[in-house]
Amino acid sequence: MTIAEPVQNPSRYTGSPIRRTEDPRLLAGRGQYVDDVTVPKMIEAAVLRSPLAHARITGIDVSRARELPGVFDVLVGEELAAVAGPQPVIWTPITDQRIARTRALAVDRVRWVGQAVAAVAAVDRYVAEDALELIEVDYEPLPVVADLDAALAPDAPTLYDDWPDNVTGSQTYRAGEPEEAFDSADVVVSGSFTHGRAFGCPLEPRGCIVNWDAFENTLDLWLSTQSPNLARDLLSEVFGVPVHKIRVRTPNLGGGFGNKFDFYGEEVIAAVLSHRTGRPVKLIEDRSDSFVATSHSRDQRLDFEMALRRDGTIVGLRGVSYGVLGGAFGTVGSGPPWASVLTSMGPYKIPNLDLTVTPVLTNRAPYGSYRGWGAPKGNIVHERLIEFAARELGMDRTEIRRKNFVPPEEFPYFSGAAFTYDSGRYADCLDLALAKVQELGWPQQQERARAEGRSVGIGYSFHIEPSAYGPSRIMNLVGLAHSGFDEAVVRMDSVGKITIYSGQINMGQGTHTIYAQLAADTLGVPMDDIVVVTGDTDSCPYTGYGTGGSRAAPLGGAAILRASGRLRAKILRVAAELLEASADDLEIENGKISVKGAPGHSVSTRDVGDAAYRRLLDRLPENEMPTLEEVDVFDPPNMATSYGCTALLVEVDRGTGRVTLLDCVQAHDCGTVINPMLVDGQLAGGLAQALGGALLEELVYDEEAQLRTASFMDYLLPTALDIPPFHFVHQETPAPDIPGGIKGVGEAGTIAGVSLVASAIDDALSDLGVAVTRFPVTPPRLVELIRDAEQRKEGAQ
Amino acid sequence: MSDVQVSDKRTVSVTINGHVYTAEVAPRVTLADFLRKECGLTGTHLGCEHGVCGACTIMLDGRTARACLMLAVQVDGCTITTVEGLARNGELNPLQQAFWDNHGLQCGFCTSGMLMCATEFLEQNPKPTGEEVREAISGNLCRCTGYASIVKSVLDAADRMAADEGAR
Repeated sequence: MTIAEPVQNPSRYTGSPIRRTEDPRLLAGRGQYVDDVTVPKMIEAAVLRSPLAHARITGIDVSRARELPGVFDVLVGEELAAVAGPQPVIWTPITDQRIARTRALAVDRVRWVGQAVAAVAAVDRYVAEDALELIEVDYEPLPVVADLDAALAPDAPTLYDDWPDNVTGSQTYRAGEPEEAFDSADVVVSGSFTHGRAFGCPLEPRGCIVNWDAFENTLDLWLSTQSPNLARDLLSEVFGVPVHKIRVRTPNLGGGFGNKFDFYGEEVIAAVLSHRTGRPVKLIEDRSDSFVATSHSRDQRLDFEMALRRDGTIVGLRGVSYGVLGGAFGTVGSGPPWASVLTSMGPYKIPNLDLTVTPVLTNRAPYGSYRGWGAPKGNIVHERLIEFAARELGMDRTEIRRKNFVPPEEFPYFSGAAFTYDSGRYADCLDLALAKVQELGWPQQQERARAEGRSVGIGYSFHIEPSAYGPSRIMNLVGLAHSGFDEAVVRMDSVGKITIYSGQINMGQGTHTIYAQLAADTLGVPMDDIVVVTGDTDSCPYTGYGTGGSRAAPLGGAAILRASGRLRAKILRVAAELLEASADDLEIENGKISVKGAPGHSVSTRDVGDAAYRRLLDRLPENEMPTLEEVDVFDPPNMATSYGCTALLVEVDRGTGRVTLLDCVQAHDCGTVINPMLVDGQLAGGLAQALGGALLEELVYDEEAQLRTASFMDYLLPTALDIPPFHFVHQETPAPDIPGGIKGVGEAGTIAGVSLVASAIDDALSDLGVAVTRFPVTPPRLVELIRDAEQRKEGAQ
Repeated sequence: MSDVQVSDKRTVSVTINGHVYTAEVAPRVTLADFLRKECGLTGTHLGCEHGVCGACTIMLDGRTARACLMLAVQVDGCTITTVEGLARNGELNPLQQAFWDNHGLQCGFCTSGMLMCATEFLEQNPKPTGEEVREAISGNLCRCTGYASIVKSVLDAADRMAADEGAR
């Protein structure tokens, strides 16, 4: 393992807090999000959704809707099913799993509130929504499976008539001798952890414009997606239209957070409406749609136990993760609950493992991708249990972590279940966080507050983030019907300027800026000379998977670095011809190619561009192909595992159960930091989402599986008053398997932040012995925990 | 907007970013849809359409308002500034500059509303504390930044505007 800190970087841009190239037009209100796009002859659609969680559709009457002036078409499930295949499922990690497939519109049965039942295309959205009110659907209600317990009950109604129960399957990962380890352990701690439903909730809802030209048989889309190549491949699967006749353009994304990775029924509905009407159809999800139609996530119960020796050494981990899926599989199936078990050992060396994932169907909305993708709940398992163990053994909670870390010299380290961690200095990272906590004076603050009778606590969480998803063949091996490589094109044009084409999507994380930083340093040109183009499958290269799994910086970056390196070599060869020198003797700086040590003897990139594209005679070497363009495909040999140690200062009001977040520290290692300002932005944004998920956000279903929190009045996103200040410190351990040493950083905060809140609350209430296991920790839930603990304490006295 | 309710339409004449827009508008059309579709001012974004997220915040006769909660017919004769009205002659204003320098935006979707909210706030409170900024923007949701960089941007903008004022 290579360790370098700080990284000695001779570059001009990489490592600097460069402000973003994306920003001026966004700040000026000139961004172009999907609902800002209009195309000629476009009409607008709206979707009718099921009001019931489980019912048979016995009749649909659309005649009055059809007659409404301004309506072009009304589409129902049977009509859609005649031309469109089922919604694709790309992740099937569980052997022999039953896959619950659905169509973009329900055909004869609905299985969740909000499932699409019919759609209207009309002159505008107002008329389309008028028409929805004129559609009459007859439902025959069926027994509802509202939650995990209802789904697992022995006499539970089944969602699918040909299934014996609602369990989709099970998969167990074993390492070592877990039974022996538990039998011979000094201490076993356990917990049943629950994370409620939540979703990424990008502020911009999803949307598309689809133009299906029936005469050319071409599908032309504007789509708010993180995964345009995947969307194109899946549209081809659904409609049988060949991929080369499908174009997906992605405008600015108003946030993605995984929610815009998944492939949704709305793009299929809009396509069918376009085919039938001969018009481009825009279908924008409004906020109310989004609560039932954008992928839900996080919903999971994890029953786990950890075995330890008296000295705090962990000897075993075992348990079951129940994924609470919805009424049909989303694009990624049960991928996130599966990823939870794969990350449940975290940064710790645990030789004996018995980890099971059991995804179960309920009459809730489909489960899908949300930043963190299972890892936040894997983190709850190892971070909660190690703190319970510290309490049980009377050990310091940071020292027990340190004792069990995988040490730097043992990398690459196989975790025991699928992932091999590439590199890490976990103890150093822990020390960085602890030093910052001391520097900020939190222990003194806590002491003072306690003296005043206030309940102030300090929480810790150590997380790992498997990033750079992933080696294609390994992804295939674990059940992904897609690849993990990334392709980039770097081109110098006839006037010596650079264009980078990437299949990655810029959804707010600033990839255009960091790609330009990396290429500028490699090529020796100013950043201003570089344009980055993304978001069009006709002009941009293929990327495996999409922009998810913290891939954009490590994999997109690696492909750009490698292509830029080769392009630089060609630029030097052409310049060598122009300068009548040897390429080996040349250097490029600020767009000027000169003989080393003789800066006066030089040509510009403009001269090289001219020689390669326009005036080749006696200038382009005979054996060189005209033009200046390099393509690279980078398929990583291993993933890159980022990690961090996070600390949180909170105050708990014992009377109301209100938790106030006072301050937050994160020490983090994502290998080479390309742009520290943007890395901190990723960490802060992810943490805010986790803190919201830990305390506020929950998609609450009642016993009839009606969603009770379907507006921003009830589903509480954190505001500026809820989120604490952040202090970030970095160490840089370059990724050994990724050119440039870059690791991903997109999901760090979301993984670290949930168990963190529990740790801080427990500490604030340490005199009561409270142990938080259920998220979000809403005030009523916390009050209940406090009262129970107080009663226990009184009972014991 | 709608072709089917022509008889209901009312004339609306409104000054937006210094330009007078006059249009025939159905009474049910929201101000946000009017700005975005009738006037082509798509910088005003819709994140919730129930008045909570603040992405559609505009300045109406000198005060902030949520364009999703108003009807276009209510602004006849009014003066509006949208995010497109902040930059002049291709130059970002000091508030926008501060957001750029401090990474006060990621996806940019909430940004229009944040900028309009901060514009009004800094007029009322030119030397705010961080806590006051947090309070002021607490009615505008951001899902990307975790807010710290927005707070920093607004504080930086206040300093720049004070320096500009001092230089005058």
